[in-house]
Amino acid sequence: MSHKKDASGLRNSVDSGDSKHVQTKIMSDIMRDDVETIKDPVNGYTNSQEFRGSITLFDAIPHQDSLDKLCAAKAIETDGRNVRLDLGKCIMCGRCQQAAPDIFLIGSIFETPVKVRQDLIRLSGKLDSQGQKPYEQMGKELKEKTSKILRRSLAIREVDAGSCNGCEVEITALNNAIYDIERFGVHFVASPRHADVLLVTGPASRNMEIALRRTFEAMPDPRIVVAVGACACSGGIFGDTYATTGGIDKVLPVDIYVPGCPPTPQAILYGLLLAVDRIEASKING
Amino acid sequence: MAAADAEKYVSAIMGRMGEKVKSCLVNSNEVHMLLADKSNIPEACSYLQDELASKLCSLISSDERQTSGAFVLRYVFEVHGKEDVFIAVTARTKESAENQLPSVPSIVKKFPLAVFYEREIRDMFGIIADGNPDARPLVLHEHWSAGVYPLRKDFDIKTKVSRDTGKEYPFIKVEGEGICEIPVGPVHAGIIEPGHFRFSVLGENIINLETRLFYTHKGVEKLAETMKLDQALLLSERISGDESVANSLAYCQALEKIAHTSVPKRALQIRCICAEMERIYNHLGTLAGISTDVGFSYGSARLNILKERMMQLNSVISGSRLLFGVNRIGGVGIDLDAEKLAMIINTTQIVQEDFEKIISMLRTKSSVVDRLRNTGIISKKVAYDLGLVGVVARAAGLDVDTRRDHPYAAYPTVSVDTHHDTPQNLMEYKVNLEKRKGDALGRFELRVEEVIDSIRMIDELISDLYDDNILTTDTLRLEPYGYALGYAESHRGQTIHWVMVGQDCDSLFRYKIRTASFVNWPGIEQAVLSDIVPDFPIVNKSLDLSYSGNDL
Repeated sequence: MSHKKDASGLRNSVDSGDSKHVQTKIMSDIMRDDVETIKDPVNGYTNSQEFRGSITLFDAIPHQDSLDKLCAAKAIETDGRNVRLDLGKCIMCGRCQQAAPDIFLIGSIFETPVKVRQDLIRLSGKLDSQGQKPYEQMGKELKEKTSKILRRSLAIREVDAGSCNGCEVEITALNNAIYDIERFGVHFVASPRHADVLLVTGPASRNMEIALRRTFEAMPDPRIVVAVGACACSGGIFGDTYATTGGIDKVLPVDIYVPGCPPTPQAILYGLLLAVDRIEASKING
Repeated sequence: MAAADAEKYVSAIMGRMGEKVKSCLVNSNEVHMLLADKSNIPEACSYLQDELASKLCSLISSDERQTSGAFVLRYVFEVHGKEDVFIAVTARTKESAENQLPSVPSIVKKFPLAVFYEREIRDMFGIIADGNPDARPLVLHEHWSAGVYPLRKDFDIKTKVSRDTGKEYPFIKVEGEGICEIPVGPVHAGIIEPGHFRFSVLGENIINLETRLFYTHKGVEKLAETMKLDQALLLSERISGDESVANSLAYCQALEKIAHTSVPKRALQIRCICAEMERIYNHLGTLAGISTDVGFSYGSARLNILKERMMQLNSVISGSRLLFGVNRIGGVGIDLDAEKLAMIINTTQIVQEDFEKIISMLRTKSSVVDRLRNTGIISKKVAYDLGLVGVVARAAGLDVDTRRDHPYAAYPTVSVDTHHDTPQNLMEYKVNLEKRKGDALGRFELRVEEVIDSIRMIDELISDLYDDNILTTDTLRLEPYGYALGYAESHRGQTIHWVMVGQDCDSLFRYKIRTASFVNWPGIEQAVLSDIVPDFPIVNKSLDLSYSGNDL
């Protein structure tokens, strides 16, 4: 970069007198903090009581007529006696709990990813009792499965099909030193030709539909599609309009649905665990 | 105060424009001048820029054929300087005959930034800007059938428009010996949003860059018109996920302005605390991204740890790692008890200590500094002409910051930056502004400074936190078809939302969103012109643009 040498910087960026001192200090810092990766980010304060992660439905007769009109993402349907909650659409805003605390309870655990879209629909009376494993444990499981089924690693191609970039923030977070998903043998690749899994976010905007389809077509078999976030699962708050297609499964065959707005890094990891199961199943089936 | 300033402008406008202005109304800090005829648009706009020192900051169109028989266009100008005033030039246009599209005279000759607004309005409303040389589609890509205008009232949001295949978007062609084109996108190598970049290169040098966006267009503005006010608030948080506080704040403030609601002081302070927390985690992410793009992964790993700490703090404070759910119309949806406040102070303090160490290390790395210095230069003139905002504009030497220019929430009670505190600081700052050259290093340093400033502001706000309600007890008194501007400074820059309430006072008639990304995107085409292709990721990251916030 010799053509760019210029002494008059914005400010004195290189403070040469101090640099050696800083250098040593940094080195000593590195030596001191041994491992930055949090052993279990789930039991750190990620899992704060305030976090809006999943919804439990209680068996109560709705006394509000307007319950279904309340939800911005149109996730709630009611016929006056029963409530039907579509977690694939839910954006975890918590408005329903405020309006009808006898029916809805927002919990701080994340909503469990599923293999079948129908499993995201919760009917009145059905409680969410599924416990989730800590991040570290899921990661290790993923690593074992991956090395068994794919020999070494799981390669992911991520495509944003019109998301608000919230899901991208969380997927990027998987790569930071705290979640550090690469230590479980998962890495994000630039080309779909190298990918086992297609991680898709957004409500599949019409303008991205063709590019999304082409990315999928460029992948080798077996290829697994994971829809990340409420928009990818169902269109979410953006719904099914002139500009969207209303969910990735309208464009591609989706194998795993990861609900949430946005899903936490932990939930996405859970989704990947299911994806590896799917790869195994498809290998067995031929 | 603001209204008194605005009144001054009314008399100035009426004196100068005379008969050409039908009426001039004041609504809080907004002046609305209704033109007698649409042919006066260029003259009125030039007058506002040249003589009243204001700059075009949005162009709003709305389909008011059912209520007033015409399409209404509002050219919104922001007065530069001490006064907190917006001036909107309002003009009406309709179809002159059957099957003929309505038109207005283009203002592109004088306002180069208007080209994107006019193309957007052509796509969404079918209003032609006569004299705009660029008639290519912008929002609706080439495969959309002709004659589809989604934001017109007679267009049903559920319509599935048929796809015309075989058409190609005519990119600008650079011709000459040795010129190659490099198409990139919409699916990029990393985990980022989609957009297409068409480089014309001579060897490694970029001769021209054309961006093609709107891949993530999901009909936000149209969708808002089908929603209730509180639901649209949730939508506004999802305009661009990482700017949720700023965008929802702008939306709430617009509604509160229409209803003349006074928001409790504690709520205003909490809004500011959250807005600054949003700025911190995003700037940390951008700085980490810059560090990745120059190939220094140790720095980015360290910065990303800090970003994660801030996001975990977000989760404790608001129940969402992206601060969704902070704002409510008339206040905030979250309260901060002593425990949470202590947590904010502790976490930001730890983050600041680490942050300063990491940054002083990055500054000693010539491999970082040399690649940033003189890369992606945006000159002051370009920044001014394109109306750029936020860090990008400030790094180019423009003194713009919505938090100070148009104070909102609790910002009048804190010092947004220390440069404007004393006359001496101000003078030094002005000299400093003149020295800025708008390169990636400048933007890097500015973000560093803003992180520190934000942490200081949070401390100030917390030490002075009022004991008050978090939601107004007044009912929201809206008038049918009442409208106002709401604005906020996100970490990307100024975001302006124009809200017009519907007839039933619980819906939106029109919701026009103009984020900082929409105005800053054209800046990238200018920024890369002195660079080589491998520097593009650095330039892109240092500008920190949102695709979703642009495409809507």
